[in-house]
Formats: sequence, structure tokens, C-alpha cells
Amino acid sequence: MPTASLSVLDVPFDERPDPDEYIRAAMEWHFGPDTGSPFWLRKARTLDFDPRRDVKGVADLALFPNVTGELRDVPVRDLIPQGYGADARIVGVFESGGTTGAPKRIVCLRDWLDRLTHGLSADLDGLGIPRGVDWLAIAPSGPHMVGEMVAGTAARHGGLMFRVDMDPRWVKKLISAGKAEETDAYVSHLVEQAAHVLRTQEVGVLMTTPPLLERLARHDDLIELIREKVKGIMWGGAHMDADTRDLLRTEVFPDCALYGTYGNTMILGGATERLGLGPDEPCVFDPRTPFVTFSVVDPASGEPVPYGERGQVVMNHVSKSALLPHNLERDLAIRVPPPEGAAGDSVADVGPVAMFDDEVVIEGVY
Amino acid sequence: MQALDALGPKGPYRSRHRLTISDVTGVPMAELSLVPRLFVTRALAALHAAVTPPLEERLAALKRAGELFATGTVAGMTAAAYESAVCRMSGTPLANVRIAVEAIRLSATEAYRSVQAARPVGAVGDWRDPYARGGTAVWIRRGDVFAVHAAGNHPAVHALWLEALALGYRVAVRPSRREPLTPYRLVSALREAGFGTDQVVLLPTDHDAAGEILHGADLSMVYGGQEVIDRYATDPAVLPNGPGRSKILLTADRQWRDHLDVVVDSIARHGGTACVNATAVLVEGDPAPVAEALAERLAALPSLPPRDEKAVLPVHPLETARGFERLLLGKAAGARAWLGGDGVVDDLGDGSAVLRPAVFQLDDPLDPRLGMELSFPCVWVAPWTRAAGVAALRDSLVVTAITGDEALLDALLAEPSVKNLYIGDHPTHWIAPGIPHDAYLGEFLMRTKAVIRG
Repeated sequence: MPTASLSVLDVPFDERPDPDEYIRAAMEWHFGPDTGSPFWLRKARTLDFDPRRDVKGVADLALFPNVTGELRDVPVRDLIPQGYGADARIVGVFESGGTTGAPKRIVCLRDWLDRLTHGLSADLDGLGIPRGVDWLAIAPSGPHMVGEMVAGTAARHGGLMFRVDMDPRWVKKLISAGKAEETDAYVSHLVEQAAHVLRTQEVGVLMTTPPLLERLARHDDLIELIREKVKGIMWGGAHMDADTRDLLRTEVFPDCALYGTYGNTMILGGATERLGLGPDEPCVFDPRTPFVTFSVVDPASGEPVPYGERGQVVMNHVSKSALLPHNLERDLAIRVPPPEGAAGDSVADVGPVAMFDDEVVIEGVY
Repeated sequence: MQALDALGPKGPYRSRHRLTISDVTGVPMAELSLVPRLFVTRALAALHAAVTPPLEERLAALKRAGELFATGTVAGMTAAAYESAVCRMSGTPLANVRIAVEAIRLSATEAYRSVQAARPVGAVGDWRDPYARGGTAVWIRRGDVFAVHAAGNHPAVHALWLEALALGYRVAVRPSRREPLTPYRLVSALREAGFGTDQVVLLPTDHDAAGEILHGADLSMVYGGQEVIDRYATDPAVLPNGPGRSKILLTADRQWRDHLDVVVDSIARHGGTACVNATAVLVEGDPAPVAEALAERLAALPSLPPRDEKAVLPVHPLETARGFERLLLGKAAGARAWLGGDGVVDDLGDGSAVLRPAVFQLDDPLDPRLGMELSFPCVWVAPWTRAAGVAALRDSLVVTAITGDEALLDALLAEPSVKNLYIGDHPTHWIAPGIPHDAYLGEFLMRTKAVIRG
């Protein structure tokens, strides 16, 4: 294949390539003997199809098996496409939160992080979040990519970033062990650290998770500080229900732009909230296609559910730096038509099943 | 379908996240707004920021609210429509709903007398009291905001927390999702009667946000099974209310036949759903004739839909009823069945079922099944011996002791895990204003402070 077709993998940040043309180029890159990663070149030999011949567009990504489980033990250097040569610019090795077992590892390359943060920063422009103000992120850092993503976005948006480190695995461990008091103490510790930054520094943008936002909102003085200083709140990492979102927007932080992201290590980033929807419309997340694409399927059949229906989210990440196709995630979401020109699905109302464990029969009368 | 909004500090709040509440036959009746955790946080903050109105205003408003609740049109619903709706929704027989309505009205109108009964004799209510000149104790609140995780087994559970309002607490109620209509009506009535929206709130939530209510309050009361009791046993800010495991003791010096009415009434009044219903009957001598007589009397109770004027037994959705039945029959294995051994579900054919009474005989007065409480008339009968003594009667909300043995009565009175002792012909469900239920709520809500002034 002529190398010209690969140039679409490096389109300028502001351009969106034709999705199917882009996917075909990515197949050439990831499965070319000189450009592909050792991981994928090995894997290709076990596939019952030829990605360079048979994957003609976004929809064909469904041909791939879900390989993310292998990311728990594959040597990470094997994940780097050889086409980068010796001077591949690695941002870091990052890991998933370990919700479904041992963490999975990915390698993040500079060109991808730049594309990602450029897109986020452009969105923040759209939201009217000023450039050059400083940020506070109460978010996982260390092995987790979100910290790097937010730091990169803050920097691109002209801000310094204050960090409060959050260890999501420790929180999960405490919760699953039923240690409510310790969980509470840990979260209070995070709030305390954030409060110190809020009191002593000019913070224009706050990035954190919905549960942390709710915990901050227990403190009237912190609500006041945020109202006074913060222009935009970027949230992610957990589900936010529509009622909470509405309360935050109308009552708690009415003059502050609220911006949601739906992120995941396995897509090396996140989908971002569709802007301009009314208060009663659901929070829709549009992935940055064709780099990241979603489909919403019936978990039993694997077939797409109709628009407006709830299903399980399948994610694809296809960039020059990584290929992680056809990953069935545990999240459930409503399938929403994508914006004009985008590929795959958008998602809304992401979260666990709306479940009511109705009165169970227990010994006792209550 | 009726919208059951949350009643927040800024008025009614209709959430997007709503739960359909159906009647016992499965017909949807209402949509309950479930508030998110953040709403709870904000509402509790508003209660903390509020100021309690003076005593006289509170008592007057409570009295008005009680009358309104019992007889008026509240939030667009007449008293008759409410009684009918709550009975359809919860399967509580209409007659029992009326008893509960009267209990709530009485609690509201008698609030002052009721709460004052709990005040230590050495304490006065205000530092302006003349006694304070020479030094006295003043009875004060332990906090300002009181939360209630209510139960849905009987509407009358909502009578109790009115005492907290009388004492000047701001109150947050989390209704049971089985029967949220009673607290919705009661909170609405309190507001219509003059309580501010920052004085009493109704916060329906799912489990996720339930803990936030306890967190945000100074003191709380929760209803639940044994696991709830265990969870909060060591938390001084939470008052757990669990199964009552009320019991009746019949000793050999009394003719049990003379007291059969009281025993039957203790088991079956309120449809057997209350914590004050007798769970166990202990008989000195052969328990078999007692069990037989109880079975005969209880078997005569009719199976009727809850709205029937003559209904006395609880009704549930058929599947729920089957669940109770499975639980009972599993536990009862090996016990001698006098009634209900083949099951207790009576299918009404409309998707709902009556839970019929059960009588089982056990051999050992210390058999743990004597404490197994289910929300219908279900009683365990066992022999009682002098050797088993008070141990067999421990962990009881009420013991009705039909005996002339004063030493035994002394021992029962002294036993801390027997919460109430009724001597002679008084059913376990007997209660009156000013009488403690599980100690006075005021003992939990209040404390004394020494005051002296010039």
C-alpha cells in the first residue's frame, strides 16, 4: 500500500478524517510487518480474517475479538507500533482502575495525548472556559491516565494544575470490604486537601468525579469558594444522574459551566458531553470519532439496540498509537444517534442498570 | 397516577428518577420522586440552617396538622381517599389504617403531654423557669436535626416522630418505598398547618442516598431487621427499631382459657404486622392445648381484600406472599404445625394474596425460632419451665405475663432486654399517649443541662 494513505492517521487536530478511510489506514499501520506492534502482529496470526483486507470501516471493527483481557500481562513494549521507530515519544504506561480484576496496561504516545487534549481544550473554548486560568484536579494520577489527560488539557488551555491524588483502587477495596467509615475518612482527606488549594489559590477550573463534587457540596464554605472562583467544572470517572446534574447546574453552581466526560483507559481517553442541549435533555457523550467509536448492543445477542434503548457499550480505540477494538465494557447506556458526520453511536444516561431492589423478604417485619 | 413528590426545603420536588408504586394487585397507583444524594445533602443543610419556632406555635401547628391529617383534604386528597389508597397500596386492612390514622392524630394533638412524660423530674423546660434561680436542670435537645428511616409495615410508625417536632427538632423523613403515602400526607399536613418547609422534609431515596440522610442529621431513628439493629448497635447517634419479638407467658397458676381472647388479640391485631404483636406464647405445662385453641380461633379469621370493612389480615402481591410462606415453611421444618403447616398464602385471584395465620409448636423454650417474627399473625408456642425462666423471655419489646408469681415479675421487670412488661390481661399491643414504646423517644432526643441564674 502506498504510504500516502497512512497520512490520514496524522490529520491535523482540527480535521476529522473520513471514518472508513481512516480505519483502513489504521489497519495498514497496525498490521504492516514494519509498522505494527509485536502484540498485534502476533495476534494477527490467530485471527480468522485479514484485517488489512477484511476491515473496511468502523463497522468491521466488530470482527475483532476483545483483547483487552490480555493487557493484564502482555509486556507493554510489545504494544508500541514499530512504525514509530526508535524515537517513539512515550507519555507513559497507564493502567485501568482494576474494577474487573487485575489492572490492564496501555502505553500512551505523545501524538495521541496531544490530539486528545487539543480536542478537550477546544471544547472548553466552546463552553466559555477561559484560557490561562489555573486548575485543580481531584483525580486519580500515578498509573491512571486521567491525571495525565487533565494535566495535558490544563497545560494546553494555558493553566497550571494543582493536584489532589485519588487512589481509586484503595477506595474500591474499602467499599467492597464494607469499611464505610474508612472510605468516608479517605474521602474527607481528599476534600480537606482540595479545600486548602481552594482557599489559598486562584482556581478557575475544577476537575473531579461526581461523588467528590457531592462531598464538596456538603461544605457551604467550599460551595462559596467554588462559586466565587471556579468558572468551569469538568467531571468524569463516575456516573452522574440527571437529577444531580440539574441540581448542580441550577442550584449549587449556577454560574459555573459543568462539563462531563465519560472516560476509560481502554479508549485512552474519554467521550465528552454534547454541548448546547437543554436542561431536560439527557447528558449525551460523543466520542471523538473515528479515533474512538462506540456501539450500544444487546448484551445477549451482540446486536445494536434501537436508538433510545438501553444496551451495553462496546468501545473501539483506533489511533496511530494504539489499536483496541471491540471491547465490550460493563457500562450500560442509551443509544443515541451520533452527530452529523460522526461514526458509530453516541451514548446517554451512562450508568448501572436502573434497579430497585424492592422490599425483599427478610426475617422481621420491616 | 398520583405524583408523590419529594417535599424539600424549597417545596415539592419532582425528580426525573421516579419509582412506580403499585397496589397489591399490581395496578400502578403513584409515582414516587426519588431524590439524588446531593438533594439530601442540600435539604439537610437547610434544616440545620433553619430556626425552630417557639413551643406554643409548634404545638398549635401539630394539633392542626393532626386533625387535618385525620379528617381533612391534604395535597388534594380527602381522608377517605387516603385511607382507601393506603390500604390498597400496602395491603393493610382498612380497619387497621383507621387505627393508625387515629394514633397519628392523637400523637399530634397530645404531643406536649406525650413528650413531657419523658422529662426527668429534676429538669425544667426553660432557663426562665423560677426553679433556675436556685439551680436546676434544663431539658435540652441533643441536636437540631432528626432523621427517620421509616418502615412500611404499618402506617402508625409515623406517629412517633411527631414527638421530635414537638421537642423542636427539624425532621427529615425517608419514607418506605412500600408505603410512602402516609408520610407524604403527614408532612404535607404539617406544612399546611404552619410548619415551614425548612422544618420538616420528606426525602424518598434509593439505597444509595439513604446513608446521606443519617450522615446529615444530628440524630436518627432507623427501622429494619436484625442486620439494621446490629449495624447501628454501637452508634450513639442512631436509634434502631427492629423486630419486637413480643411474647406472652402463661404460668400454671392461671387458667389459660380465661385469657385466650387477649392472647389471640395480641397475635392478630394490626394484622400481625406490628412489632408489638405477639411472636411467641410460652406455656407452663403442656402447650399443645393452647396451640390447638389458638389455631382454632385464628383459623376463623376471614381472607378478604384489604378494602373490605371486615378485613383483618394483611395482603401482599402474590409473589411477595409466597416469599414469606417459603421463609416460614423453611424455618418451621420439624416443628409441630397446628395451623399453616401447608402454607399461609390465600390467593385472592387478582394478583394479590392474603397471608393467613400460622401456629407452630416447639419443644424447647429456648428455641431461637421463638424470636422469628413475620409480618402476619404467626406465633410459636412452646413449653415454659422454671429452669428456662426469664432467659426464655429475653429480647422482647413487650412481655405480657399472665401469672401471679411476683418474684418472676420482679425478674422480668429487672431484665433489661425485656423492654415493656404488661401484667395480666393486657394485650402486647396495648399503648397509650405518655407511655413509652421502646423507652421514651425523648430519652434519646434530649439531655439535661445544669443551669443557675441570679
